[in-house]
Amino acid sequence: MLVSRDWLKEYVALPDHDELVDRLTMSGLNHEGSEMVGDDQQIDLEVTSNRSDCLGHIGVAREVAVLFENPLKIPDPQPATEGSDISQVFDVQIDCPALCYRFTARLIRGVKVGPSPDWLVERLQTVGIASVNNVVDLSNYVMLECGQPLHTFDYDQLNGNKIVVREPAEKESLVAIDHNTYALQPGMCVIADGERAVGLGGVMGGTETEVTDSTCNILVEAAFFNPMCIRATARKLKLHSPASYRFERSINSENIDWASRRCCEMIMQLAGGQLAEGMIDVGQAPATRPPIDFRFHQLQRILGIAIPRETAVSILENLGFGVAPGTQDPQDSLSVSPPAWRLDVNREIDLIEEVGRIYGYDKVPDDVAVPMAASVRSHEDRVMQKIRHAITAAGFDEAMTASLVPEAWSDCFTAWSNHPPLQSHQAMLGVLDTSWQNMPVNLLRRSLLPSLLEAFRINEYKQNDQVELFETARVYLANAAGLPTEPIKLGLVSERSYGEIKGVVEAVVGMLNTEVVVETDDCDLELLDITHASELLIDGQRLGWVGKISPATQELFRLKRDATVAELDVGLLNQIATRVTLHGQISPFPALTRDFNFIVDEAVRWGDLAKSVREASPDLLESVRYKETFRNAAKDGADKKRVLLSVVLRSADATLTGEQAELACQAIVSRCKDQQGADLLG
Amino acid sequence: MSSDTAMPLDEFINQLESLAAEAEQTFQAAVDAEKLETARVEFLGARQGRLKSVQKSLGRIDKSDKPVAGKKLNEVKNRIQSSFEASQANLSSGQAERIRDPLVDPSLPGQRPRIGRLHPITQTIEELKDIMGRLGFTPAEGPEVEDPWHNFEALNIPEIHPARDPLDNFYLSLASKQAGLDSQLLLRSQTSTVQIRVMENTPPPVRIISLGRVYRPDTADATHYPMFHQMEGLLIDTEVSLADLKTVLHLFATNYLGEDVPVRIRPSFFPFTEPSVEADYYWNGKWVEFGGAGIVDPNVLKSVGYDPDAVSGFAFGLGVERLCMVRHKITDIRDLFTNEVRFLRQF
Repeated sequence: MLVSRDWLKEYVALPDHDELVDRLTMSGLNHEGSEMVGDDQQIDLEVTSNRSDCLGHIGVAREVAVLFENPLKIPDPQPATEGSDISQVFDVQIDCPALCYRFTARLIRGVKVGPSPDWLVERLQTVGIASVNNVVDLSNYVMLECGQPLHTFDYDQLNGNKIVVREPAEKESLVAIDHNTYALQPGMCVIADGERAVGLGGVMGGTETEVTDSTCNILVEAAFFNPMCIRATARKLKLHSPASYRFERSINSENIDWASRRCCEMIMQLAGGQLAEGMIDVGQAPATRPPIDFRFHQLQRILGIAIPRETAVSILENLGFGVAPGTQDPQDSLSVSPPAWRLDVNREIDLIEEVGRIYGYDKVPDDVAVPMAASVRSHEDRVMQKIRHAITAAGFDEAMTASLVPEAWSDCFTAWSNHPPLQSHQAMLGVLDTSWQNMPVNLLRRSLLPSLLEAFRINEYKQNDQVELFETARVYLANAAGLPTEPIKLGLVSERSYGEIKGVVEAVVGMLNTEVVVETDDCDLELLDITHASELLIDGQRLGWVGKISPATQELFRLKRDATVAELDVGLLNQIATRVTLHGQISPFPALTRDFNFIVDEAVRWGDLAKSVREASPDLLESVRYKETFRNAAKDGADKKRVLLSVVLRSADATLTGEQAELACQAIVSRCKDQQGADLLG
Repeated sequence: MSSDTAMPLDEFINQLESLAAEAEQTFQAAVDAEKLETARVEFLGARQGRLKSVQKSLGRIDKSDKPVAGKKLNEVKNRIQSSFEASQANLSSGQAERIRDPLVDPSLPGQRPRIGRLHPITQTIEELKDIMGRLGFTPAEGPEVEDPWHNFEALNIPEIHPARDPLDNFYLSLASKQAGLDSQLLLRSQTSTVQIRVMENTPPPVRIISLGRVYRPDTADATHYPMFHQMEGLLIDTEVSLADLKTVLHLFATNYLGEDVPVRIRPSFFPFTEPSVEADYYWNGKWVEFGGAGIVDPNVLKSVGYDPDAVSGFAFGLGVERLCMVRHKITDIRDLFTNEVRFLRQF
């Protein structure tokens, strides 16, 4: 709300500028800036959407009057009337009472439209409104004075001597005073004469009936439109006006008559003419609101400060509230009637805010004793921190990507759920690089990997090297009904090889639990290479996937480099993560290392072979380590490979004897033979 | 000399003496550990050392002279050994001459392990959690896809409220034609939803923060992004007032900025709080907006089954991106979500 200092002065004495804007800021009208316009000063105040009473100079003046305890002077327009009553010559009907609550009209005959006097032009200029002519300027002036939008029609251009407030007819349109043609839609509120639309109620008038230099009779409209309807209309047509701004926030119906009289009186002062007797007033009369029970003790309870009773009462009275003794507990309570202009005050808590904001929030202390409380860090939070430590130590930078993705990404990895994705009715605009601009970004993602691959591509495009990114975020898996499931995933993308990234995954899991073994299973997913990719499992539960991306994926994301990705279920990591590690006795006895060179079928997987080794001598085996794979078809035959592995044996109770070690080795060899068909070389 | 030839005692002693003298000289001349080691092997070597070979002559000494010869041998052995140890001590204490190898360039870069960085938003969130944790607020989580009850209704945002406009929210439906899914679902537009979920399931007192992604349709520019993070705090107890709110905000700002900063609250308007305030802190000579806050609206308390006459509370919320950007002097919010590693590695 732009305020003219000179104008404001008409209603209340003002302190100096800085004190004024400071107090206004601290009581709810945040000062956004001030600048000189000619000799006048423009003051920009932010008015929150509940305070429609401050969308006019009088409303702001009322705040000033209360804050500085200066008297408020509000004009009392009593325009003289003459000639026949308007209701004898004109008629107004409301066909859409849900959209237009109330419509009033006055008629002024014989005006002389012309330029506005300098003072009026300057006032409007200070608050950024261009002068049109004296009549139009005055309707704007009164709106900016009291917050009630007004509209003036050229009475002689209205056909049929009537106004009908209705919804638009099919394919009806209006040329508004901004000279644009607007297609009217159902749900909008049209002001029509006997034949056609002449205005869009509460938003903008039509050009055919606007007041021009040749106008001599004027119909002054002051009405009350449904705020929702005005908001929807202004939005749909992208037509926002000072009138729609005020109607959207609702107006004070009790002020309609005052605004109409004030406008008529000023028009007659500046443009002459005679005001016809009476006012047409159709629709709902202003509603009365019941008084509010207000308990004094609530002030201290909510605001945390003791405000003297008399102070609270005088603040409320100065603000225009009616104050009477309370009905319930006269010692503690009041019965408070809000003034008509304060549409936002309906409850006790609203009154508490009124007293508090005028009394001053600066008096609220910021050093009271807030009771202590223990806060708890969840297991999930700790696990997440460990994951982040491990993954950054492994060289990965953390990425943050959008939760919505385009269809091509959504479809390229559906392994967590093949339930269709949730779709947003609105696309998330401007998120993506221009190369994807033709695809709406409107699907909730079911995997982090496509977004990470796009981030990888951007880095490749920017010629950044060593691109290693991870993200921990939710994916959204729709359910048949109700809310979707939102599991948290850990996604990785890297330039490193399959083996290295699998190692990173194992290291992350190892950070959380030193005992569990990550097992692999073959997988066949479009996103991943058919060979260098695996499903990962812990105790038969799905942990996720790791794999080099497939050529098709590389093409889809237009990547030049090879990339390896992994995606893990953080939920499972939470499950397997050790909460409190218990100390295990470290054996003080020496270890023995033994190497084995097994010849096995190509089809035998390391995971299975290692499992056989582990199970062969669970008591003495400390670790089994993969060393190398060789192939020698000439000696071993086709489809055979040699796997060299190394085991560490150690006993918890004593130094291993040669005999014990020999037995353990024999057990390993025979179990590998039985279970994996492995022959020991040499 | 053959091994079985007898050796006079004098000769043996002379040999020992001259060996000792030569060894002492050689040890003293050794300029580095390597030369000293060569000398040690020459004189004291267990197999081929010269002392060893003199020692072998002991067998050729006349039996009656042997005790004397043996004693002398021991003396000399000790002398040589201590001479060696002295030189060794000299070398390691740096008293000997040290020559820097000109072929080595110690300023060559180290072989640095790559350590990744956490996203600046994560770092900010962790710090916020840390501070609020010290103030007794426990983090709480809730879904990002919400129903209108938790995102609006329970927060005192009725059906007719402009905040529910479809253009201002990401309303959702199932992408397929499958029927039966509630099309009223939407991406949460604020983390206050979590407050409702917690209050619905927890009797007072409640002292939580909720942190996470929120979504509002907005064209991305330097200061807007359709997805961002919020932190909201909520404290509900029997007697919680605006003074408690101001105190907690003051403690928070002092903690976050590292020194005692003034905090002010001024009236504002939010549907879920009444009174609603905007909180500012005074930093670098001006008031900086901190976030919105207020006393939890009685309608919100009622909607979760609390009695507004029995309990009261405050709530506050702030944008994580804005705090992060102010602190790190980031000027374009989009940089946070482009994920260029050159950007990420700065933090």
